[in-house]
Amino acid sequence: MAFIDARTLPDASRIEADLVIIGGGLAGITLARELAGGPLKVAILESGGREIDEEIQGLYAGTAVVKAPDNPDKPFDDYPVQSRARVLGGSGMIWGGKCVPLDPADFTARAWAPHSGWPVTRPQLQPFYDRACDLLEIPRFDADNKILKDPARPPLALDPQDGFFSAPRVFTRYSGGADKTAFDRFRTDFADAPNITVYLHANVTQVRLGKDGDKVEALDVACLNGKRHTAVGRTYVLAVGGIENVRLLLASNGVRPEGIGNRHDLVGRFFQGHVTYSLDGDAETEGTAVHVSRQPSMSLYLNPGRTGAHCVVAAGLSAQARMGTGNFTATLYAVTATGAGTPTEAETRAVRQVAARVDGNRQVGDGGDGQLLGFFAMSEHFPNPDSRVTLDPSAKDPLGMPRIHLEWRYAKADWDSLERSAAGFGDALGASGQGRACWPVQRGKLLEISSASRHHMGTTRMSADPTKGVVDPDLKVHETANLYVAGSSVFPTSGIANPTLTILALVMRLADHLKRDMGVRS
Amino acid sequence: MSTALARRDLLAALLAATALPGLAHAATPLLPDLDRAAAARIGKAWLAGRPDIGSAALARRLLPHGRGPDALPALRRQVSEDFRRGAVFVHRGWRLSETEGALFGLLALEE
Ligand SMILES: Cc1cc2nc3c(=O)[nH]c(=O)nc-3n(C[C@H](O)[C@H](O)[C@H](O)COP(=O)(O)OP(=O)(O)OC[C@H]3O[C@@H](n4cnc5c(N)ncnc54)[C@H](O)[C@@H]3O)c2cc1C
Repeated sequence: MAFIDARTLPDASRIEADLVIIGGGLAGITLARELAGGPLKVAILESGGREIDEEIQGLYAGTAVVKAPDNPDKPFDDYPVQSRARVLGGSGMIWGGKCVPLDPADFTARAWAPHSGWPVTRPQLQPFYDRACDLLEIPRFDADNKILKDPARPPLALDPQDGFFSAPRVFTRYSGGADKTAFDRFRTDFADAPNITVYLHANVTQVRLGKDGDKVEALDVACLNGKRHTAVGRTYVLAVGGIENVRLLLASNGVRPEGIGNRHDLVGRFFQGHVTYSLDGDAETEGTAVHVSRQPSMSLYLNPGRTGAHCVVAAGLSAQARMGTGNFTATLYAVTATGAGTPTEAETRAVRQVAARVDGNRQVGDGGDGQLLGFFAMSEHFPNPDSRVTLDPSAKDPLGMPRIHLEWRYAKADWDSLERSAAGFGDALGASGQGRACWPVQRGKLLEISSASRHHMGTTRMSADPTKGVVDPDLKVHETANLYVAGSSVFPTSGIANPTLTILALVMRLADHLKRDMGVRS
Repeated sequence: MSTALARRDLLAALLAATALPGLAHAATPLLPDLDRAAAARIGKAWLAGRPDIGSAALARRLLPHGRGPDALPALRRQVSEDFRRGAVFVHRGWRLSETEGALFGLLALEE
């Protein structure tokens, strides 16, 4: 139906809909898109406007620190504000658009990974992954990985017995950074449907429960120009992102002092992000590197830009079980050799020449010793209840909301998993005669060479057991009858996959559930 | 056998089963660009943890059927097995099989 600037509504307006979606990021918008044109009246309450604005973005400011064994703490105060965007479209305005489903292994309960296991499986999610791919206009990731069948871009011949495989990723154009026109369409055209209204500059500051504490009654909505409104629906979906979902649930403590959905003290815990680890070499020291013994093109692995699939090398379930590790990927990239003529470079060459010959891939006289590439490693962090988002009651934003504090904790098991996986990756390359890996990083330097992705997962985890999860497998808050959560905060484990395709698949599934639950006939 | 000859034979063995095996028998230098000093340094690093090992024992272990064209496929199998059973030698971060470490060791001893 429309976009409405909530600042222009008369003060104390009452917004009414069947379904109220809090947050107009990719999750909230995808849900509204699924319901557009249907019988349910849908309102999206979105904090931002159409463009990123410093004052609005400032509402995200908070504090953060990363704590990891054997490494000095890493202050990370800019992370809460820099790792997301508070604007219509959310972080979709700035995301890379890289899409990949979680691996089947990611959904399994792995005995060596405490708190692992999803209450849904990859096959159950597959039809929703397919729909999410269609929405983003990317090829589907089917079980046989057809996406990889390009004879001009051969994959590494990794022996399946070692449990490592080539895992594809693709890019969608629906990103504010990649194709602003297409993304503008994506984030606005659904609102042409007569049943959809998007309220901009509408910050939800409180989710109000009824006096029994088991049902949402209304939402407090605040604008930065001082206007205050109320929103009322039959059903509510919280979709304000993996950190902000926590903030709103914990800050909504009017009826339940511990916040909403937090009877078992789980809201905000199990924060997981994705982290990359790489080290550049120099004349004296090795970097994280891969020698590939073969000469043919490695273009399947070296980022070809935004078109076509590109692959990482990933650890499958059998490798994880053997190594006692979480998911792991190595992403390869081109490097220019440095340090020519130094002893380090000479030794690297000798290593590569012998490896190329042993692997049998060098053609004598072609002068080739295979290819030297860089790689960055990503290793799944095991869910950790002490890694958490909390509220800082001493710091409030201009709307009176307490700011967040993120204490992102890694455990020794995370380092063990990373190092064992990097070693296993090298072993798999070597055992298959495909190459060798170099992992020259000391444990005490891991945090220093790490770089955090802007993926926020785990803080309102999904579980069929109300004592172990904030939301149930339908994404409904266990203890609240009419409140659902969408976004990566519901992921029980993080895998390595960029989260958004899975967010969208879960949202599509939620849309189907809500249609059934709210009496929409198909 | 002179040391230089032995070394050339080892390098020949390394090349014997490459994609153009005919060339492995040619008189051309077979690893013309292998930096001997660099290879020897790696070999010495491998030998450092194994002070008692000699070149004859190493050669028997690595090349039990001599240094002919069959040597390389056998080495390749050993390398795969090493990686699968965790028999590795890490040199400045490079994760090599024990067999490769031993090859460098032999090159160092035969230098
Ligand atoms: C630089 C960058 C690159 C990325 N690259 C990738 C990638 O390549 N692949 C990938 O899968 N993921 C990537 N991500 C992550 C991806 O952007 C997110 O997973 C995804 O956008 C999350 O969508 P969301 O709707 O759940 O949350 P958000 O995008 O955080 O949306 C939440 C929405 O809620 C609004 N909001 C917040 N608080 C309130 C409130 N109190 N009241 C009302 N509205 C509110 C916000 O303004 C926002 O619009 C990247 C992220 C960043 C920052």
